[in-house]
Amino acid sequence: MSFRFIHASDLHIGRKFANIPQPPDGNIRGRLMEARHAALGKIGQAAVECGAPHVVLAGDTFDTATPSAPVLRQALMAMGETPQVTFWLLPGNHDNLRDAEPLWEAIQRDAPENVRALTEAAPVMLAPGATLLPCPVAFRAGASDPSAPLDTMPSPEGDLRIGLAHGGVTDFTESGDAIAPDRDRRARLDYLALGDWHGRMAVSDRVHYSGSPEQDRFKHGRRGVALAVTLDGPGAVPQIEEIETGSFLWSEETLTLHPREDAGAALRAVLPERGRRDHLLRVTAQGWASLPDRSQLARAAEACAPDFAHFELVTEALGTQYEPDDLDAIDRGGALRMAADALVAETRDAALPQAGRDVAGDALARLYAYVREDDA
Amino acid sequence: MKIRAITLNNLRRFTDPAHVGNIGNGLNVLCEPNEHGKSTLFDAIQALFFKPHGSRDKEVTGLRPHAGGAPEVRLEVETEDGRFTLSKRWLQKPQATVHAGDRLVAQADEAEAWIARLLGGDAGGPSGLIWVRQGMTALSGGTGKEEKQALEARRDLLSSVGAEVEAMTGGRRMDRALARCREELAQYATGTGRPRTGGPWKEAQDRVAELTAAREALAATAAELHEALAERKRARRSLDELKAPEAVADRQQRLESARAAYAEAERHAEEVEALARAVELAQLNAQSAAARLEQVKAARSEVETARRDVAEAKETAEAAQSLTAARTAEHSRAEEALDTARKTLETAQSSYDLAMRARAAREGAERRRALEDRIAQAEEARSRMEAAEAAARSGPDAATLQRLETLAAELTATRAARDASAPQITMRYAPGREGAVQGPEGPLVEGHPLPLHGNTELTLDGIGTLDIRAPAQDDDGALEAAETRLRGALKQAGVEDLEAARTAAATRAEAERRQGEARAVLNSLAPDGLAPLRAALAAIPAPEDLQDAPEPETAEAAWQAARAAHETCRITRDVAAAALGEARTEAARAEARLTSLSERLQRTEAQQEQIGGTAEDALAAEVETTAAALERARAAHAERAKAAPDLASLKAALDRAAAVQTQADAEIARLQPLLAQLGERISRASGDAVEERLAETTQNLQAAEASLARIEHEVAVLTRLEGALQAARTEARERYFEPIVKELKPLLQLLWPDAELTWGEESLLPHALVRDGRTEPIDILSGGTQEQVALLVRLAFARMLARAGRVAPVILDDALVFTDDDRIERMFDALHRQSGDLQIIVLTCRQRAFRALGGQALRLETAAPPPGS
Repeated sequence: MSFRFIHASDLHIGRKFANIPQPPDGNIRGRLMEARHAALGKIGQAAVECGAPHVVLAGDTFDTATPSAPVLRQALMAMGETPQVTFWLLPGNHDNLRDAEPLWEAIQRDAPENVRALTEAAPVMLAPGATLLPCPVAFRAGASDPSAPLDTMPSPEGDLRIGLAHGGVTDFTESGDAIAPDRDRRARLDYLALGDWHGRMAVSDRVHYSGSPEQDRFKHGRRGVALAVTLDGPGAVPQIEEIETGSFLWSEETLTLHPREDAGAALRAVLPERGRRDHLLRVTAQGWASLPDRSQLARAAEACAPDFAHFELVTEALGTQYEPDDLDAIDRGGALRMAADALVAETRDAALPQAGRDVAGDALARLYAYVREDDA
Repeated sequence: MKIRAITLNNLRRFTDPAHVGNIGNGLNVLCEPNEHGKSTLFDAIQALFFKPHGSRDKEVTGLRPHAGGAPEVRLEVETEDGRFTLSKRWLQKPQATVHAGDRLVAQADEAEAWIARLLGGDAGGPSGLIWVRQGMTALSGGTGKEEKQALEARRDLLSSVGAEVEAMTGGRRMDRALARCREELAQYATGTGRPRTGGPWKEAQDRVAELTAAREALAATAAELHEALAERKRARRSLDELKAPEAVADRQQRLESARAAYAEAERHAEEVEALARAVELAQLNAQSAAARLEQVKAARSEVETARRDVAEAKETAEAAQSLTAARTAEHSRAEEALDTARKTLETAQSSYDLAMRARAAREGAERRRALEDRIAQAEEARSRMEAAEAAARSGPDAATLQRLETLAAELTATRAARDASAPQITMRYAPGREGAVQGPEGPLVEGHPLPLHGNTELTLDGIGTLDIRAPAQDDDGALEAAETRLRGALKQAGVEDLEAARTAAATRAEAERRQGEARAVLNSLAPDGLAPLRAALAAIPAPEDLQDAPEPETAEAAWQAARAAHETCRITRDVAAAALGEARTEAARAEARLTSLSERLQRTEAQQEQIGGTAEDALAAEVETTAAALERARAAHAERAKAAPDLASLKAALDRAAAVQTQADAEIARLQPLLAQLGERISRASGDAVEERLAETTQNLQAAEASLARIEHEVAVLTRLEGALQAARTEARERYFEPIVKELKPLLQLLWPDAELTWGEESLLPHALVRDGRTEPIDILSGGTQEQVALLVRLAFARMLARAGRVAPVILDDALVFTDDDRIERMFDALHRQSGDLQIIVLTCRQRAFRALGGQALRLETAAPPPGS
C-alpha cells in the first residue's frame, strides 16, 4: 500500500514584516501577511488535489507564542475549509509548548475537527499502517536533540514510522540542540519531516526540510514549496514532490561593477523583466566604481525601485575609485580641490576606523554631487 | 617706472604752466598750504594715466579752468627702457604723445596703449594701489569705477604673486557647495551639532527611544506571561500530586496508623501509671507498720523511765522537807534575840538624846543675848540712816547748783553788757543832799553811774520828778532770756533765789554725809541684813527644864553598846532567814519535780494504755508482710514500664501525619484560587497577543535603528564635508594672502607689535585688525588708525610690485590727516623704510608736521602766481 501526505512547516502566520520599509502606498506589509495566510489554503488545496488526507506542519505555524485572536481564528478557519484533510500541528520554537500554552489550549478547544495539535511526544495513528511520531518543542531554546525521543517511540509492528520534528541539523550555537542527520536510521523512520529552516532542503532520502511555503528572506532565491510525500511501504525510499505554494519571490542579486562601466546599465541588466510586483529584490553591489558611476547607480536604483514589491540596493561592499578626472571635475585646484584631496586621503587612511573612512568617502561623493549639480 | 617731473597747463587754477621737477628716487615731499593746487596735481597725474585723450567725461571737463582752455599734462617718467615724456591734452585738439627725448615714440591711441602697458605691464594696472586721495582715509572708497579698478589691481597683483583668488578659494562654487552642505545639515542638526528639534535626526532618535521603551514594556509583559505560565504549570503539578488518589489514601492511612499507635501507647501508659500507684500504696503500708512498731517500743521504754524518775524525786522531796523544818526553828530563835536587843537599844538612845538636849540648852542662852544686842544696834543704825536719807532727798544737788550758778553768771554778764551800752547818769550830790534823788531802784548812789533803759522816772526830792526817755536798747531780748532761764531753773530747783539754793545745797550735803555713816555701821553689824540675824536668834532653842538628864558621855557609851548588840543579833537573824529561804526553795523545787514526773508517768501510762492491744510480735510480722508486698509491686511496675512504647515519639509521629494532611488541604485550598488567577492573567496576556506585538515592535525598532544609523551617517558625512570645505577655504585664503601679509608684517609692527590683519576675500582688503588677541573690524577703528592701516597696506602692495620688478610710484595726497604726532613719526619711519626701492611722493599741507619727514623737498613752480592766491 502506499501512503501520501503533505509536509510543510514554518508558516509563521502573523508575521508583521515591520522590517520591510513601507512604500508610500503602505501596501506591502499587508500583502506579505496576507500571502502567509493564503499559504494555508494553498496547502489544503494541494492536499486535496494530490489525494493526501493528511498535512503535517513541522512547527512554527504561528510566528509568536501569542498570536492575536483574528490571526489564530482565521488560520483555524482556513484549515477548516478543507474538512477532508487533517492538519497535524507540531509546536515549534516560535510557538513552543511552554510560552504558547494558551495558544495550544485554544487550538485544542476551538479548532475544527480536522485540526489536531500535537502537544505530546506520543505516537499517533494517521491511518491504518501509518504512525506519526511527533516531537513537540517544549522550550524556545532547548539544549538537546528534539528528535531524540523518536528512537524509543513505539509503533505497531509493520507500520510506517513517520517522524515529525522541529530544529536545525547544524548546531550553529553549539548548544547541543541539533537534530542528528541520521535520526531516520537510528529511529527506524520511513520519513522524517523537519521544520525550522525556511529554505527547502533535502538532508537525505528520508530526511527533508520543506521550508516555508511562503518565503520571508532573501537567501533562498525561490518561491516557497510544500512537499507531497508518498511512502510506498515500510523501508521504501519516499517519493518527494515539491508543490510551489509561494506568492512572493524573495531574491538577492550580486552586482559586480568595474570602473568606467555603465553602472546604471549593469544594474538594469540583472533585473528581471517580469513579475516585479511580487518580487522582493536585494541587489548587493560590489567591486569598484568611480564617483560618477556611483551617482548613476543610485539614480538607476531610484528609478526601478517602485517596480518591485520591495527593492534595496546594498553598496557597503562597493569601493569607490577616485579618478583624477573625478577630482578635476570638482576642481583642478584651490580650496575645493584641497577639501576633495583631504577627503580622498582620509578614505585611504588605514589608521582611521572603517566608519570614519566611509564617512569621508560619502562626504567626497556628496561634494562631487554638489559641484556636478551646480555645474549642470 | 619713476616719475621725474610734472608739468600742468590749463588745469583748473593753473591757467599758466606749473611745474614740479627734480623728483628723485625714494621719498619726495611737496609741502604746500591748502588751495595751492596739490590735489589738482594729483588729479592731473591720474588723468594722464587713466583718461584717454579723447574723453570728454565729467572728470575731464572738471579739469578745465573757469576761463576755459584745453587741459594739458606732461609727465616725465623713467623706466627700465629709459626716460620718456608722456603728454596729453583733452577737449580741444586733444592729443596724446610719448617722446623719448625729442623722438616721438607714439601718439594718439598708440600712445594710450603705450601708457596702459606702462601701467599694467602684463598683469593689469597696479596704479590704483598707489593713489591715496586727500581725505580718503578708508582703504576702499572713491568712485565706483575707481574702486573696481583698485580691486582689479589688487586682485591682479595678488594673483600675479600667487594664484587667482577664485582659483584659490574655490570662489562661488565653493560658496554654493558649502551653502548646500550647510543647508542639508541644518535639516538635521543645530549649529552646535545637536539634533534639531523637529528634524529627521531628532525624530529618528525619538522613534528609537519610543520603540525601545515599548519593546521593553512588551518584553516585560511577555516575561510576566512566561512566568505566569511556568507558575501555573508548577501549581498544576503540585495540585495533581496532592489530589492524586494514592497520595490521598497514603496520607489517610499514615494518619490512621499513627493515631492507633498513639492510642495503644496511651493505654499502656495508663497501666504503668496504675502500677505506680500500687507501689506507692504498698510503700505506705510498709512504712506505717514499721512506724507503729517503733511507737509501741518507745512507749514502753518511756513508762519505765518515768517510774524511775518519780521514785527518785520522792526521796529528794522528803529530804528537803526535813531540812526546812530545822531551819525554821533556828530562825525563830534568832528573831527573839533580835527583839530583845532592839528594846535595849531604844532605851539607850532616848537617854542619850536627853543628855544631848540638855547640853545644847546651856550653850544657847549666851548666844541669844549677844544676838539680841547686835540686832538692837543694827536697828538703831538703820533708823538713823533712813532719817538722813530723807533729809538728803530735799534741796538741790551739786549739779543743779552748778547750773544755777552758771545761769546767774550769764545774767550778770548780759546785764553788764546792756548797761555798758546804755546811756548812764551819775549823781553827785550836793553836800547834805545825799539820796535826794530817787531812781526806780532807790536813791541814786553818789558817783555811781546809773544806766538808763527806756523811760526812767527820777524823783528829785523836793523838786519833782524827772522823766528821762532813753531810746530802747536793741539787745535782742538777751537779758530777758537770761532772766527767764535763771528763774525757770530756780523754780525747778524749788528755791526762791540763788542764795537760798546755796543754803539748801549745803544742808543736803550734810544729810548725805550722815546717811553714809549710818549705812557703814549697819553694814558692819548686819552685813546680810537683819533677817539672818533674827533667824539665827530663832534657831537657838528655847531653854528647857532638864535637871535629871544624864551625863552625855555615859549616855553615849550605853547607846553605843546597845547598838553593837543589836547589830549582832540582826546579822544572826538574817543568816537564819537566808538558810530557811534556801531550804524552802529546794523543797518546793523537789515537790514540783515530783509532781511533773508523776504527771508524765500518768501520761505515758495512759498512752501505753491507749496503744494497748497490739502485741509487739504481731506488729513485727505485719512489717515483714508489707515490705514483701512493696517489693512485689515494684517488680510488677518496673516490668510493665520497661515494655512501654515512646509516647512522645508516637505523639510526634501523629502530629506530623496530621500536619501533612493539614498542609495538603491548605495547599490545595491555596492552589485552586491561584490557578484560577493565573489562568485569568494568562488568558488576558495571550489575548493581548503580547508576543505578536513584541515581535512587531522589535522589527520596528530594528528598522528605526537602521534609519537612525543612516541619518547619523548622513550627519557625519555632512559634518565632515562642511569641516573639509571650511578648512580648505581657510587654508586657501591664508595661502592667497600670504605674500601681502609677509610684506605688511614689518610695517604693522612699527606701529603695533604683534598686530595682524585678516583679509576679506571679496574686497581683497583687510577687514579686521587683530591686536592683543582682539579682533577689531577696520571700520570701527579710529580715523587715525584707519588711515595708518590704509597707508601701510598701500606701501605693502607697492613693495610687492617692486619685488615683482614693477616699481610704481606711491602718491600720497595728505594721507595722514588724523594721525597724531607720535604716530606720524612712526609712519615717517615706515615711509622711509619703504622708500629704499620705491618712489614715494607725499603731498601735504601740514608743513610743520611734515618738516620732520625728511626726504627730498619738491616745489611747485609756476610762471605766474595762480589767480586768487
